[in-house]
Amino acid sequence: MRPSLALLRTTTFRLALAQAGVVLLFVVALLVYVYFATIGQLVADSDILADQEYAALERAYAEGGIRRLNQEVVERSASQGPLLYVLAEANGAVITGDFPQLPALPGEAVQRVDFSFETTNSEGSPQRSRARGQVGRLLNGPILLVARDLGDSAVITGRITRVLWTVAILGVILSVASGLTASWFASRRVEALANTARDVMGGDLKRRAPVRGEGDEFDELAEAINAMLDRLERLMIVSRTAGDAIAHDLRSPLTRFRQKLEAALEAPEDSRNDREALRKALEEADNLLDMFAAVLKLARVESNPNWRFERIDASEVLQELVEFYEPAAEEQGRTLRGEVAPGLVVNGEPGLFTQAVSNLVENALKYTPEGGHIDLSAVRRADGRIEIAVLDDGPGIPPADRDRVLERFVRLESARSSPGAGLGLSLVAAVARLHKGGLHLRDGLSNGEGKGLGAALVLPAAA
Amino acid sequence: MRVLLVEDDADMAENLRASLAADEHEVEIARDGEQGHSMAANGGYDVIVLDRMLPKKLGVSVVRELREQGVSTPVLILSALHDEDHRVEGLNAGANDYLGKPFSTRELLARVRALWHGRDRDVQTRLQVGDLEMDLLARTVKRNGKKLDLQPREFRLLEYLMRNSGQTVTRKMLLENVWDYHFDPQTNVIDVHISRLRSKIDRDFAQSLLHTVRGSGYRLEA
Repeated sequence: MRPSLALLRTTTFRLALAQAGVVLLFVVALLVYVYFATIGQLVADSDILADQEYAALERAYAEGGIRRLNQEVVERSASQGPLLYVLAEANGAVITGDFPQLPALPGEAVQRVDFSFETTNSEGSPQRSRARGQVGRLLNGPILLVARDLGDSAVITGRITRVLWTVAILGVILSVASGLTASWFASRRVEALANTARDVMGGDLKRRAPVRGEGDEFDELAEAINAMLDRLERLMIVSRTAGDAIAHDLRSPLTRFRQKLEAALEAPEDSRNDREALRKALEEADNLLDMFAAVLKLARVESNPNWRFERIDASEVLQELVEFYEPAAEEQGRTLRGEVAPGLVVNGEPGLFTQAVSNLVENALKYTPEGGHIDLSAVRRADGRIEIAVLDDGPGIPPADRDRVLERFVRLESARSSPGAGLGLSLVAAVARLHKGGLHLRDGLSNGEGKGLGAALVLPAAA
Repeated sequence: MRVLLVEDDADMAENLRASLAADEHEVEIARDGEQGHSMAANGGYDVIVLDRMLPKKLGVSVVRELREQGVSTPVLILSALHDEDHRVEGLNAGANDYLGKPFSTRELLARVRALWHGRDRDVQTRLQVGDLEMDLLARTVKRNGKKLDLQPREFRLLEYLMRNSGQTVTRKMLLENVWDYHFDPQTNVIDVHISRLRSKIDRDFAQSLLHTVRGSGYRLEA
């Protein structure tokens, strides 16, 4: 595991931090709302209440003078309620009311006052309380104060505020903690993927990323990486076996090459023998060079450089190929027949197209025994594609091996004894892919015992 | 004849020089494209053999510039890349023939001779080898005054052999020039075509014209 500081740099953790910020903002907004919904409302209500009471007492004074006012204040002050009263003389000496002294002095006009005062709670212990109201001078000087005790409401609001702050801090702490945890889990999964990549880089091609089976995004990523690794491994194996196969296939002709030269060197001097040995050695060297040329050609077709495509009159090319091979086939005791539909046109590289079909014909000639038949047919299929099929009544290829023989250097045991590098069909398949088509192997012409081989080159028709 | 060989690989150049000299050619060697170009432009050569990959100037550029300067000496390009597109590029640049490496010495010698021999062949309308006559306009072939019946492809095969009469032509040359095929068939396809042609032109006559050159190819000669 990396040092934990690295966790702070992860994307997940940054997201968690942002989330903590959002929680904080939300709590602040909630606080503002709670304040206005409680204290704000309370203050507004108490202002209205105090105003009404002040006005009522003012009327009482106007109607009954100081005596009536004094009586009203005494009565109202005695009644249970949230309102507090003080009546004082013009000089500020308290006449009657809830406070021994004026908690706030009046100004020129009636004014709003906000003050705190000492009181006792239900258990008799002292506590400070807040009040809010109006104070003013009446006609001829007496001072009247009416206020509302905000008492319990203020306490409750204070508690709510504290609770909210606690929630906010907890929320932030939780967000950060969950962020850290989430990023730890995420980094652990990412780390597992990174470890897989490092192991594969280190040469362990069999290593795969762990899939938890939860179907989450990490599993999805791991599966994609594993699919990629499967393909890479397959390609590595193919290229490794290709390398092995080249080495293997080159060994035999090189060994024969060496033997012939050695034998010629050790034999008693005889120019006729020497020349024969040299001729054979040359033949082996040519085989080797042909093999290299085939490998290079296949590589060039597969690496797909910019081949120059043009319209090819496939019917003509195929007819000419049949005429080209027919005499040799007849000479070798085989029958080659062509049945080519007219007007077939494909878009392609003429040299590669011709060579691909020629490879199919030569393959058939090579593996069909004497007296055998080879049919080359070319038609436009119902789906518009052009199918060029070479069918023989030779031994064929078992269905299970058909995919395999298209891979490079694969030669079935039965073909080991005959010349060739196992590249012929690979090249045809590569040429087919280059032309956005395919090579399909199937049964050929029935010969009583086996089923023969049918090799169908299917290419898109030119527009 | 005088051959200019432009090849940067010293071993390859020496081998080719020895082979060409053994075939009674006078050989001069240039080591890079620029030297090759200036030597070729100063003239006096019958055939130029040019490697495709050369230092300082590519073989294809050398041919193109020579042709632009009006130098019409036949050029054979040698290339490690025997691919259709490179071949077409070389021929379009003005080369007369294109030979992919590896090639046999006999193949090279046959082509060098054919190049020199065929340098002004295109104006002919009648070809004659001994008592064998070909009329390229009427597309008829007669031997000793007797008309021979040839298939179109056999006609082209014979035409190529007659144009290069007295010279050895390789199977590869026939493949490329008569069929325009640029791959090596693994079977003895060419030999069968030749023997069919031979049965038509030689069978009823005492003197054989179409000869097999062992290890190389064929030669039509009276």
